Amino acid sequence: MTFKRIPRVGIGGPVGSGKTMLIEQFVPLLSQIGYRTAIISNDVVSKEDADRMRRNLASERGLMPESLVIGLATGGCPHTAVREDPSMNLSVVEDIESAHNQELDLIIIESGGDNITTTFSPALADYFIYIIDVAGGDKYPRKRGLGIENCDLLVINKIDLAPHVGADLKIMERDAKLIRKDKPFVFVNCKTGDGIKEVADNIIKDVLFDIPPKTTKN
Amino acid sequence: MSTKSSNTIDTTDDDNKNSNMKYDASEEILVPEESLLEEVSMLQLGDSFFPTGMYTTSSGLETLFYDRRIKTKQEVIEFITVCLQFQIGPADCAALSNAYDFAKQENITKIIEIDNILFAMKLIKEIRDASTRSGRQLLNCLSSFSNNNLVASYYQSIKNKTASGIYPVALALAANSLNIKKERACLILLYGFTVSITGAALRLGMLQHIEGQQVIHELKPIITMVIRNNIQRHFSHLWQFSPGIDLVQMKHERMDSKMFIT
Repeated sequence: MTFKRIPRVGIGGPVGSGKTMLIEQFVPLLSQIGYRTAIISNDVVSKEDADRMRRNLASERGLMPESLVIGLATGGCPHTAVREDPSMNLSVVEDIESAHNQELDLIIIESGGDNITTTFSPALADYFIYIIDVAGGDKYPRKRGLGIENCDLLVINKIDLAPHVGADLKIMERDAKLIRKDKPFVFVNCKTGDGIKEVADNIIKDVLFDIPPKTTKN
Repeated sequence: MSTKSSNTIDTTDDDNKNSNMKYDASEEILVPEESLLEEVSMLQLGDSFFPTGMYTTSSGLETLFYDRRIKTKQEVIEFITVCLQFQIGPADCAALSNAYDFAKQENITKIIEIDNILFAMKLIKEIRDASTRSGRQLLNCLSSFSNNNLVASYYQSIKNKTASGIYPVALALAANSLNIKKERACLILLYGFTVSITGAALRLGMLQHIEGQQVIHELKPIITMVIRNNIQRHFSHLWQFSPGIDLVQMKHERMDSKMFIT
């Protein structure tokens, strides 16, 4: 099926790194400006993340229709579903594009929690955010991995936990610069919202190319 | 291996120095090129590497696993056998066969009719949706490397929502466009289903990797028998009847926590 492509952001990262909460934080910022989004949430064993985002972002805050938060079971293969065989995700994306092409500005695809080799197929996502958290230790991002090295934006979450887990943010910053060269990274705290505006700004600049929202919200 | 001339390759290696076997590209091979191309195309469409997303389904096996109603390798074989004999064979396989025949006649109207019949026969929404998603992605991928007017017409019908793109019909058109014989297209369908469910059993921890291959091997006679029993079935006689499995699949569809699309 060929429909006019709506820009797509893929979000990957280890289990518990904060993928869902990152989305819950930056979607309202985009929504304030008027950007309309849809979310596809891949989950390995449940649709809990999709249900939570639907409740938080759609039902309670009305930032999107409930039908535009879609949970997808991936047969226990989170990386396969976004990289080697993204058929099921692409099919859902096509359904969204055919029905909402006029008003939607962005489709967000959340991968199931996986390891540091996660990447998104370029056929599925135009922009790839990889999120890690400091509780994994300050050896990341030095340990590299396809996700950390190749993503368009590296997000380092849970910075408030650094002193409690003996992680040195300066080491992480130094290594991120070294590993990623000129590609951006940002420290965030998804609990408080620290650093989230920078994530939203990156999406607006590098994915939406500063183009205004397609429609004006009522 | 070293190249001795423009069309002769010396295959001599450490294990086989005395034989000094040579392959001469100018020699005529016994198997016709078309036949080899068909075989390669069959391998391509039948390979789990081909992107159709079928690894995401368990056809209800996951529910039976969590309910502890299936525990052994033999029970996995019996489950797949029932699915093949009472769901996939008389419905999907027969629909594929009829769609293939109409593809040969370039009869898009009848192809769409079969698409609609099979879509209506799939009782479980998740399975219905998964089948149409796989079919559409199959056609999408096929269209990236092969041009075929009938596939394009069917694709357009899906876009216009007069056809669903259900997988067996999409596979019939794909096989026809790549000159894969009908019975081999049926093999791709049944083998693919068998592998996807066996793979699900493996990921659920019900089988070990060697056992997975044993399951597939034991199911080979079932696969061929199901094809023989259904390849001649007229599309007005499509059927499926496995109420126990239907109920399991409905239950799975409503599970909150699961790895697989039903």
